[in-house]
Amino acid sequence: MYRWLDERLSLSRLNKKFLRKAFPVHHSFFLGEITMFAFITLVLTGVFLSFNYEPSTRLIKHLGKEVPAAYASVLYIDSLPFGAVLRSVHHWSASIMIAAAFLHLLRILISGAYKKPREINWLLGLALLGLSVVTSFTGYSLPFDAFSVTATQIGYGIGASMPYMGEWISQLIFGGEYPTLHSIPRVYSLHVLWFPLLLAALIGAHMLVMLKQKHTQPAYAEKVAPGKILGVPMMPQQGFMMGVLFLLYLAVVFFIAGTWIAHPVEVFGPPTASTPAVKPDWYFIWIYGILQIIPGDLKVSLPFGAVMNSEFIGGVMIPGILGVVAVLLPFLDTRKTKLRYMELPTRHPVRTSVTFALLAFMLTTTLAGWKEEFGFSNGQLWAIIIISTLATYLVSYLIIISYWGRPPKGEAEEA
Amino acid sequence: MYRNDTVLPFFGILFGVALWYMAYLDGEHIARLAGHTPEELSVGQLGLITFGIVFFLFGAIGYISAWLEGSELRPGKHEPPGGVVPMVVIFLLVLLLAGLSGLFVNAIVYGLTEGPVKPAFMGQLAAAILLVMTLLLVVFKKFFVPDEVLVEDEHSEVPW
Ligand code: HEM
Repeated sequence: MYRWLDERLSLSRLNKKFLRKAFPVHHSFFLGEITMFAFITLVLTGVFLSFNYEPSTRLIKHLGKEVPAAYASVLYIDSLPFGAVLRSVHHWSASIMIAAAFLHLLRILISGAYKKPREINWLLGLALLGLSVVTSFTGYSLPFDAFSVTATQIGYGIGASMPYMGEWISQLIFGGEYPTLHSIPRVYSLHVLWFPLLLAALIGAHMLVMLKQKHTQPAYAEKVAPGKILGVPMMPQQGFMMGVLFLLYLAVVFFIAGTWIAHPVEVFGPPTASTPAVKPDWYFIWIYGILQIIPGDLKVSLPFGAVMNSEFIGGVMIPGILGVVAVLLPFLDTRKTKLRYMELPTRHPVRTSVTFALLAFMLTTTLAGWKEEFGFSNGQLWAIIIISTLATYLVSYLIIISYWGRPPKGEAEEA
Repeated sequence: MYRNDTVLPFFGILFGVALWYMAYLDGEHIARLAGHTPEELSVGQLGLITFGIVFFLFGAIGYISAWLEGSELRPGKHEPPGGVVPMVVIFLLVLLLAGLSGLFVNAIVYGLTEGPVKPAFMGQLAAAILLVMTLLLVVFKKFFVPDEVLVEDEHSEVPW
């Protein structure tokens, strides 16, 4: 069999060239793989969901009640023997893909792997993170229960608040002012076809660029094989590790997703006229939190009748500034030599501390999303956000400096 | 970060479990406020458990990687130890796998013909099957797969 295929496809050449490619080994490299396996799981469970889901808000009779067809079809999925678990795995994996991509980004950041020559992959990665969030958001609107409709409206409002093109973008995605009859079919097509295709293409490009540029290596490799790539072959070793990780991923996610059904539509019920108290998904809460603590009636007039309102300033501009800084980062932090080895976070106290401060900022603005429940005032929350962000920077910097000492000037040496 | 050690994976697992416990306490708190146990997770619980899962996975695969691949690679071929005990372990795991899979198929058939089976049972059974498969791969790789560490030129022709 192998001989037969080999004679026709020169498999042994493929083996020599690709399957013996060396993969450096370090635990932090698995974060990107976890993200990738979450995506693969999403595609596989998504196929099952798309077989049974009905993208329509037309009202139909279900157990004597008039409910949207989309909502009824999700109830049907949940009634299948393994259906509720697979739908829950899909929801959990979406969450995990975003969380893992974010932690993967932090690892790239603190190990300096965004630097020359890896700027392109850093940009591709940012696009991937943004697209994952958007894809997840479109998926959230599909079950069309009371919870998902309200959460989608919050997001729609933020998108529509962009001056000049906001309305246009939101209506492009939702086929008019959400929710219309056209919203669900439009969002459905984006969510199951175009966004996943784009994600797959971008992930493919991300991997190709990495293969071409070679992965960064743990710093000890410089002593073992200077200037070379020290690693295990793609097949069998790296393949085994990926298999282990994928199976372990599925084991943990099936356990959690089976035990806690992520989005129990039966509990939320079909959409009603009165809006339930709903928060957006957790990855939006830091933005939602910022919106809670800035005055709700800000208005900055722009030429041609456009305005920047509070929703835009809190929901688009502040995350936008972070995004722009992220895009520019590899071009500001330049170096002439090529980066081959992961940098040690402790040898770059400023960068590492800024990363921690960014985390503190996001955690405290997320806390602000629970302003009402905790009974905080705006002043208190501002104080918490600003003080913890600055304090985190200072404490982290001081700890690194006093424990590992100042980094040498110029090229950071290995400890 | 200098080598493939288990410092960060240790904290990964610690964080993972701590976040999960936070979500659990959060649930208890919500239950007390609501006077009953809510049927759905709050957004906050979802977020905490999500990060808990990622940290836990990172920690677990970190430990597995350190055990299977070592903390520093050394170029050359390394023969696997092999042995009777791992062989027996693999045999028992395969038996367990067959048993669990049979149970799973039965549960699906039962769900189709007799009525709903609890999602929690189905999910946990699937998780058990997958966990056994993970262990099988780990043991097989550790004791029966020859290791090789390559030193590759940075300007290899792959992929172009
Ligand atoms: C959302 C989907 C994403 C997937 C599926 C993905 C997947 C991967 C994988 C599997 C690797 C190789 C292993 C590793 O280093 O972890 C990798 C490397 C890399 N990723 Fe991502 N990634 C994603 C998002 C991102 C993000 C958000 C960034 C940063 C903005 C990023 C930047 C990079 C860089 C610079 C590398 C090369 C690392 C090195 O050579 O050390 N990626 N990615």
